[in-house]
Amino acid sequence: MAVSQASLLLQKQFRELCKNPVDGFSAGLVDETNVFEWEVTIMGPPDTLYEYGFFNAIMSFPSDYPNSPPTVKFTSEIWHPNVYRDGTVCISILHPPGDDPNGYELASERWNPLHTVESIALSIISMLASPNDESPANVEAAKEWRERRADFQKKVSRCVRKSQETM
Amino acid sequence: MDSEDDFGCDYDDDDFYFAGDDDNNDSATAAAAAVDSDDEEEADVAADYEFSDNYPDDSNEIASNRHQQNFSILTEADIYQRQEDDINRVSTVLSISKAAATILLRHYNWNVSKVHDEWFADEERVRRVVGLREKEKEEQPIAVVDRPNKLSKLTCGICLEAYPSDRILYTSEANCGHPFCSECWTGYISTAINDGPGCLVLRCPEPSCAAAVGLDMIGSLASNGEIGKYSRYLIRSYVEHSRKIKWCPAPGCEYAVDFVFGSSGNYDVTCRCSFSFCWNCSEDAHRPVDCETVAKWTAKNSSESENTTWILAKTKPCPKCKRPIEKNHGCMHMTCREPCKFQFCWLCLSAWSGHSCNRYERAKHDEDEKKREMAKKYIERYTHYYERWATNESSRQKAIADLQQMQTVNLEKLSGIQCQPVTQLKFITEAWLQIIECRRVLKWTYAYGYYLPDHENAKRQLFEYLQGQAESGLERLHHCAEKELQQYVNAEEPSEGFIGFRSKLAGLTSVTGNYFENLVQALENGLSDVKAHGSCSRAASSKNLGETSSKVRGSRGSRNIDEWGYWSCEHCTFANVKTATICHMCYQRR
Repeated sequence: MAVSQASLLLQKQFRELCKNPVDGFSAGLVDETNVFEWEVTIMGPPDTLYEYGFFNAIMSFPSDYPNSPPTVKFTSEIWHPNVYRDGTVCISILHPPGDDPNGYELASERWNPLHTVESIALSIISMLASPNDESPANVEAAKEWRERRADFQKKVSRCVRKSQETM
Repeated sequence: MDSEDDFGCDYDDDDFYFAGDDDNNDSATAAAAAVDSDDEEEADVAADYEFSDNYPDDSNEIASNRHQQNFSILTEADIYQRQEDDINRVSTVLSISKAAATILLRHYNWNVSKVHDEWFADEERVRRVVGLREKEKEEQPIAVVDRPNKLSKLTCGICLEAYPSDRILYTSEANCGHPFCSECWTGYISTAINDGPGCLVLRCPEPSCAAAVGLDMIGSLASNGEIGKYSRYLIRSYVEHSRKIKWCPAPGCEYAVDFVFGSSGNYDVTCRCSFSFCWNCSEDAHRPVDCETVAKWTAKNSSESENTTWILAKTKPCPKCKRPIEKNHGCMHMTCREPCKFQFCWLCLSAWSGHSCNRYERAKHDEDEKKREMAKKYIERYTHYYERWATNESSRQKAIADLQQMQTVNLEKLSGIQCQPVTQLKFITEAWLQIIECRRVLKWTYAYGYYLPDHENAKRQLFEYLQGQAESGLERLHHCAEKELQQYVNAEEPSEGFIGFRSKLAGLTSVTGNYFENLVQALENGLSDVKAHGSCSRAASSKNLGETSSKVRGSRGSRNIDEWGYWSCEHCTFANVKTATICHMCYQRR
C-alpha cells in the first residue's frame, strides 16, 4: 500500500517536473523502471562561487516517502561546508522529523511530508548560494569558508571546472 | 541551649541536616533516651542472648516502624487509571472533549490545576498555544472553515491527488482546514509514532499550522500496535512529569513508585520487584545518609582513582580545612572557598597576613615536608573510608547470595538434620535479612563519616561510638550466622546445642537491630543529642559517654592503642590506660 502510494506520488512529481521545469535544476530517472532513484543536475546559482557549475546528484527515496525524506548525494566532486566528503547533502529539511539528536534544528525546519522534489531542489540551490557554517558536514570546508575565503574559492572553482568537463 | 541556632551553625555547607528542624527537639530527647538505654544494654550484652522468644517480635516492630509505608507501588494499569481520572476531570470542568483534555494536560505536564488556571485566565491564548480549535470556529461546519472550493473534490496536500470530500480529513481537535487524505494521514501518524515520544506533540502536517493531532484521530487511523505504543508514551510522559511518581530504576522493572511526602525525610522505598532505592535521587537506598552526601561520595569514588595522582601532583590541601586547592591564577595569595576563606601563601602554606617566605630556613624546609605529609594524610583518610564503604557493600552482596543459598538449599537440609520444621527456622532468614540491611546502613555511615567535619569533636565521637557499637554487633551477628551455623548444617544428627544457638542468633539479630536503629536515628537528627545532653542534667554522663566513645572508637582501627594512649578491652570494650595489662572492668588479660 505504502509503496504504491510512494511510487504514484513520485511518478506524479516526475511528470510535473518534466512539464514545468524548475530553473537551475533538471531531473531524470537512473533506471526507467525504478521511480525511487533520480538522477538530478543542479546548476550553480548565478552570482555565487558555484556559478556555471553542473553538479550531478542521486536522489534516493525511501519506500515510505513522503513520510520519510530522500537522501541526496552528489556524484560530482563538490567542496561545500554542508556536503560531506562522500557527497551526501546535509540540510535540515532532509533530516527525519522528530527529535534532533544534536539539538540544533527546530522540528519545523526538518522533513515534513509536504516537501516535494521541487522544494528539495530549491533548498539545495539556496544551500549552494549561502552555506551554513554553524553545523557543517565538512568541517574543513567550513573553516576555510570562514577563515581563508581565497583558498575556499580556489577549491570551488576547481570543482566547477571539473563539473563542466564531465558534461 | 537547645536552640535552632545550635543546629544552624554546625553545618554551614549542608542544609539538609536542618530538614527536620521542627521535630529536632522531640527526636533529640527520644534519641537521648535511646542512648541512655543503650548504656544499660552495653552493661549486659551477655544477658541479651537470653531474650530469644520475645525479642524477635520486638525487632519486627522496630523494622516495621522503620519502613513506614510512605509510598505505594503502581502498575501500568494503576497509572493509566490515574491518567484517565485526570483527563476526565479536566474534560468535565472545561467541557471539552477527552482528546482535547489530553492535549491540554500533556502540554501543561499533566498538572491539572495549572491547566485550569491557564484556561480560565486566557482561554483563547491557551487554545492557540496548545493547538486547539478556536472558540468561534467550533460551531462552524468544516466546509465553511475550509478554503472555498467549488468542486466537491479536494486535493490532498501530501499526495496531491483529488479526493471526494468524505475521504479528506482535518485535524479533529483544531479543524485547521488543511486537507489531507486519510491514507496520507495514516502514513504521517504511523511514521510519527514509530519515531518516538515526539508523536505526543504531533501537529498538522502543514508546517505553518499549529493544530494539534489528538488521541481520537490517532485512535481511528493508527494500527492497534501503534495505538498501544502511543498510549505507553502517554503514560511515560505522565509519570515522568509527575512530581510524585517515579519509575523503579531496576533494569526491566515496569512498576512505578508513588511517594507520599512526609515529615520523615526518609526517601527509601522498596519496589515490588524487591529493588530498594532512594526515591529522591534514584541511587541505592542509603538511609540514614542524605542524598547530597551520597552524590558527593559517589562522584568522588568515580573520579578519585584516576584523580588521586592528579590531585597529588597539582593541588595542595588548604592548611586549614584540608580541601584540595588548585592554583589557577598567577599570584601566590590564595583564599580558600567559603566557608573556610583561609588566606594563605601557596608556596609555604602559612597564613598570608604579614608573612614572607623568600629566605630559605631549615624550619621552612620541614614545612615542605609537613605539606607533603598533609596530602598523604588526605589520601589515607579517604582510603580508610572508601575501603570500609566498599567492603561493606561487597559483604552485603555476599550476604544476599548467602541468604538465597540458605533459602533454596540449606534451610531444607537443616530442617532435616535438626528435626525442626522449616517454619521454626525463620529466625535464620530474619538474621540474614538483618545482616543485609545493616551492611547497607553501615556502608553509608562511612560516607557520612568521611564528610563529618573534623572540628565537630563531640559529634564525631558520638558518631564513631555508635558506629563502632553497631559494627561490632553486626560482626558478631554475621559471624554467628555465617560460621557457627555451618556446624549445624554439616552435622550428621540433631545437635544438642541447636536450641542454644537459636537463642543466640535471634538475640544477636535483635541486639544488632537496636544498635543500628540508634545509629540511624542519631544520624537522622544530625547527631544533635550531643547538644541535648549538654543542656540537661545528664551533662556529666554524656561527657563520660563521649570520652568512652572516643577511647573505644580510637581503638577500633588497630584494635590496639589509640591516640590518647588507651587500649580497648576486647571483651568488654572498656578503655584502659596504656600501662594496665589486665582490663580494669572485667579483669580479662589484654
